[in-house]
Amino acid sequence: MSVVSRWRSLRAQEARLGWALLAPTLIIVFGLVIFPAFFSIWISFHAVGLHNLNDVFHAPFNGLENYKRVVTDFAFKYHSIQNMGAALTSIVYSFSATALALVGGLIAALLLNKPFRGRGLVRATFLFSYVAPIVSVAFVWRWILDPRPSGVMNDILMRLGIIHAPMAYLSQRGLALIVVILLDAWRYFPFAMLMILARLQAIDKSLYEAAEVDGANVWERFRYITVPELRFVLGAVFLLRLIWTFNKFDDIFLLTGGGFGTKVLPILVYEFSFRLRDFGRGAAAAMILVAFLVVFIAVYLRFVMRSSEEA
Amino acid sequence: MSDRENMLTYLARRMNLGKIIWLIVLTFFLVGVIFPFYWMVSSSFKTQIEIAGRHPVYVPHALRLDAYKELFDPNAPHFQDFGRNIVNSIKVSVPTALIAVILSVLGAYAIARLRFKGKELMLNGVLAVYLIPGVLLIIPLFAMLAKVGDAIGFEVQDNLGVLVVTYLAQTLPVALYMLTNYFRTIPDEIEQAALIDGCNRLEVVWRVTLPLSIPAIVSVFVYTFMIAWNEFLYAFVFLNSRGMFTMPIKIQAIFSDPSPRPHVVMAASTIMTVPVVLLFLVLERFLEEGLTAGGVKG
Repeated sequence: MSVVSRWRSLRAQEARLGWALLAPTLIIVFGLVIFPAFFSIWISFHAVGLHNLNDVFHAPFNGLENYKRVVTDFAFKYHSIQNMGAALTSIVYSFSATALALVGGLIAALLLNKPFRGRGLVRATFLFSYVAPIVSVAFVWRWILDPRPSGVMNDILMRLGIIHAPMAYLSQRGLALIVVILLDAWRYFPFAMLMILARLQAIDKSLYEAAEVDGANVWERFRYITVPELRFVLGAVFLLRLIWTFNKFDDIFLLTGGGFGTKVLPILVYEFSFRLRDFGRGAAAAMILVAFLVVFIAVYLRFVMRSSEEA
Repeated sequence: MSDRENMLTYLARRMNLGKIIWLIVLTFFLVGVIFPFYWMVSSSFKTQIEIAGRHPVYVPHALRLDAYKELFDPNAPHFQDFGRNIVNSIKVSVPTALIAVILSVLGAYAIARLRFKGKELMLNGVLAVYLIPGVLLIIPLFAMLAKVGDAIGFEVQDNLGVLVVTYLAQTLPVALYMLTNYFRTIPDEIEQAALIDGCNRLEVVWRVTLPLSIPAIVSVFVYTFMIAWNEFLYAFVFLNSRGMFTMPIKIQAIFSDPSPRPHVVMAASTIMTVPVVLLFLVLERFLEEGLTAGGVKG
């Protein structure tokens, strides 16, 4: 055997071993993520209900019927500012929750940027809301926000004189959406905090020293050094969190069940599929969600690529 | 000057305005994060009377175990048999974490050390899984698995094994990504040296690479464990009978009970939260690295 062909066969052997080691992961991810993702496109154009679920591959084709029924559904359409329909509610919810989580994360990161006694402990504590199971977190908040006068939030706010009568935070149109947004910011600010803190710690300290020598005050140093240095991480975290928040089902489902003006697209998908047992319509609603998602992902990829070119 | 004024001027001299604002904001954050957890744990030790009173009870009068008895004591009224749900959750999350670690070690080693075409593309492609909403996948999975189950002969509903496999699909991509990045930080020279010393490839991995990767492996294990432990939607759709419920579904069921018993919900939530938070605190250093490096979904 010549040296070259022997080298080639070693190369081929290595490649075969590589694919073999990856095979289990690829099979699982393909079978349970990639294939189903495409399969759901197919479902969205077919009439699939509980009756033909066992024979789903022979479900009758019904064109755009599912899509029509989603778009004309009461829950999807805009009615008023307090009843915006699933698509707009999703947009409002995910953009404001993400923005708030980012601002919270930025403030928390700035708090922890300078060393002080117990910093490690405080930082770990800040991560609790993110690490704790969503189910416990959601039910604790429902219990804190209990609408009766005995609810602890009502009790505190009434004692402070901020409100005069007990409020039903999670079952009042308008207010419910705002509360859900605030709770999401509460839960996800630690993610932004970690990312921003990592970047903050990497900023060259001599920049600040030089600015101080030049007579820049705290605000000016923040505005002209910190903000530009953080631009990339802020943008990336915003878009990533936006995508994840847009996909989120658990948080709203557990907090309000999707009622009182908080019905976002994932909840609508769930309701069509598992309450009405109309999987075709559920899949069509999911495709509408994906259409938004594709736009967000495209923006994200462009942002990441442009920023890495600049760097 | 009185003592009080003395102290105030002393404090004012020691702290400038910036420091005071810093302290106020820090307190705000700390209270905001800690209070819900305090409320969860303290409520779990309250009695029905304290829970249903006209005013909230800020500190329970005594550590009453009524709620925990309802969860675990077969003789208590409304006995919930929560022990069974804990076991179900463990039966799902431990295998998920173990299998995820084994499979991702194999895959990550291949990507980090072996030369073959398409591996970079695949690593990034697999990560795209993280952008696909779970609620989108649940519909085809529900339909497909029913069909496959019929053909092969397994029940899809109330089958914890089905949950393990779906959780693996959700967690393997990031596990693979985290471990690949970690393996790449281990210098190739160390392995080459061991190879020259006469070890074969498997021995190198077993004696050199894996021991060096313990922090990353622990992180991957804990992450996948936590995701499986916390997961709600898939378990909610695939589990129907109370005996098979994992903890999240059971807690939702107790919450939805017609006669509200928040102290029991809080007790169950406490049991579910404490191991996760403890695990996190013990392994914080390892985990945070993974969090920022892998960008873990949440």
